Amino acid sequence: MAIREQDVLWIRPAPMTRLEAVYIPEVIKGFGTTLRHFFTSFGQSKFSPVKTTRVMQYPEVRREDLPVEEGGMEKSNFRGMHRLNRDEKGRVKCVACMMCPTICPARCIHITAGESPWDDREKYPVKFEIDELRCIYCGMCEEACPVDAIELTPVYDVVGLSRQEMVFDKEKLLKMYDLTIEKKPM
Amino acid sequence: MEAPSWLTAQFLVNAVTIVAVVHIMLISLAYCVYAERKVCSYIQDRIGPNRTGFDFGLPILKPLRGMLGLGQSLADGLKFILKEDYTPNRVDKVLFTLAPGLVIVPALMGFIVIPWGGWVDIPTFSILGMQIQGGIVHVTGANVNIGIVYLLSIASLGVYGVTLGGFASNNKFSFLGGIRATAQMISYEIPLGLMILCVLLTVGTIVPDQIVRHQIEHGWLIFHQPLTALVFFITILAEANRAPFDNAEAEQELVAGYHTEYSAMRMALFLLAEYGHLMTSAAFFALLFLGGYQLLPFMHDPLTSPAAVSVGAVLVKLAVFFGKVFGLIGVAMFVRWTIPRLRFDQIMHGAWQMVIPLSLVLVVSVSVLVYFGATGLLPMLGVNLSIALLFTMLLPLMPRREVNKRLPLYGSRFSPMPGERVSTAPTLALAIEDRPVEGSHATMT
Repeated sequence: MAIREQDVLWIRPAPMTRLEAVYIPEVIKGFGTTLRHFFTSFGQSKFSPVKTTRVMQYPEVRREDLPVEEGGMEKSNFRGMHRLNRDEKGRVKCVACMMCPTICPARCIHITAGESPWDDREKYPVKFEIDELRCIYCGMCEEACPVDAIELTPVYDVVGLSRQEMVFDKEKLLKMYDLTIEKKPM
Repeated sequence: MEAPSWLTAQFLVNAVTIVAVVHIMLISLAYCVYAERKVCSYIQDRIGPNRTGFDFGLPILKPLRGMLGLGQSLADGLKFILKEDYTPNRVDKVLFTLAPGLVIVPALMGFIVIPWGGWVDIPTFSILGMQIQGGIVHVTGANVNIGIVYLLSIASLGVYGVTLGGFASNNKFSFLGGIRATAQMISYEIPLGLMILCVLLTVGTIVPDQIVRHQIEHGWLIFHQPLTALVFFITILAEANRAPFDNAEAEQELVAGYHTEYSAMRMALFLLAEYGHLMTSAAFFALLFLGGYQLLPFMHDPLTSPAAVSVGAVLVKLAVFFGKVFGLIGVAMFVRWTIPRLRFDQIMHGAWQMVIPLSLVLVVSVSVLVYFGATGLLPMLGVNLSIALLFTMLLPLMPRREVNKRLPLYGSRFSPMPGERVSTAPTLALAIEDRPVEGSHATMT
């Protein structure tokens, strides 16, 4: 559609005063601002008592260890690596309904469903693989899951030495549940 | 044994000065990058590089870990040397290889005519059985009489490397960056030359050492001509392609400008050349306006006066000169992180409509004062300040162009010609649902 004249939003900056039109006083004012910031934050480190710099020294200070008010991580909705939840009997909770591979925009979830050996459900995942390198961590699998089986955890610093290592299978995902259940309860 | 005629004390002192200054300069170029990052991060309430020490990951060298990040320059240099030096297909190979050298060599060459330490008294001594006559010799790279002209011509050679680097890359954005750099540097060379002319008219000589002596006798020229010094500082920022005049690089518009296609050490040469030009220009500024090697203005302290010719005094003078150069580099860094970048048309308007008329007026005023012999502090300062006041009064009265102007692309479907109706509704019925539906990739067993 062509842009109509009444839809155009004209932004006109305020006209410069005589002093601003000379530029130099404004430049000097700007120097004042930068000098103030320079000298307040000069020489600050992680040991300084007064802190105006907003820097976190990452490997020593981690966001998950800080309260949310001080820039910490809100663990309940952080979207990190996946995990597969267990039910109260320690079995995988997933029922292989194929909701998550259907919704997944990156198509990184691969499920092979099989007949369940248990009585309370018909299907269970024989194979459950998530390619963590393809995943975009949008959290849609978590929202789509009808039984709250797949969840995203606050873990974000997982390293692999090969691509195949970063394709998480069912055992790895269940292990992620064991590792993170204290940090983020179900 | 008779020494050959070229082997004089002056020659040896020149050689030692060149070697020493080039090494000081190369090391401080590397640390300029570090200082820039530190200054920038403190201004932005960050800390900056603070981890790279000299421990190389070895447990034995653990005390050298951290060190405020001082090892960052070494790590950067290592990285640049070890990276793949990639030459894209279909570049002009000769010019592409030559361009970084053409940028960095002028940046390193301008240094030799700066009078770093005044004069030094060398006693008569002998090396390899050759008697060398001592005497009071000049501590500089080359004691040439056309020092300022040489400096000016060398400084303007840097534009060739930038232009050729952009041209040889076979990339239109690099080319645009190079062209813009050329236009900018040539435009700002005019006020640069005119400002130097102001100084030369006042001093009456083009020998660098004489300029310093004149300032030591009559006071630094920045007090005589503050407006000249300000315009000169602006033009050297533009000449060195520094922000706010960094249109040659212009990350936002041209990716990286003229060095987009460069990698590894060749790109590092471009980056270091920027600081090299800045250091040369800062030394130039210190020489012309800040009294060279004199420690304090209007004071004839015995240590940094031209009469002090001992080796210790020379070292003090060298330290004072380099202190001034690094101070000016610090000012340039503050300018970079304070003032936003100018658009290209603003830069060119600034050159041709503001800076060049102002410099012409300054040159005329200085010439008139010199003709009438009124080269003292008060008349010079008064005329300079009244010209500054005049321009301050005139600037708000200048006509301003409309900013934020809408430029309709007539004929496009978003800006049709007046009276024309353009239908932009989807013409295909299929366009309502444009998301193709296909089966899941997961295999069911």
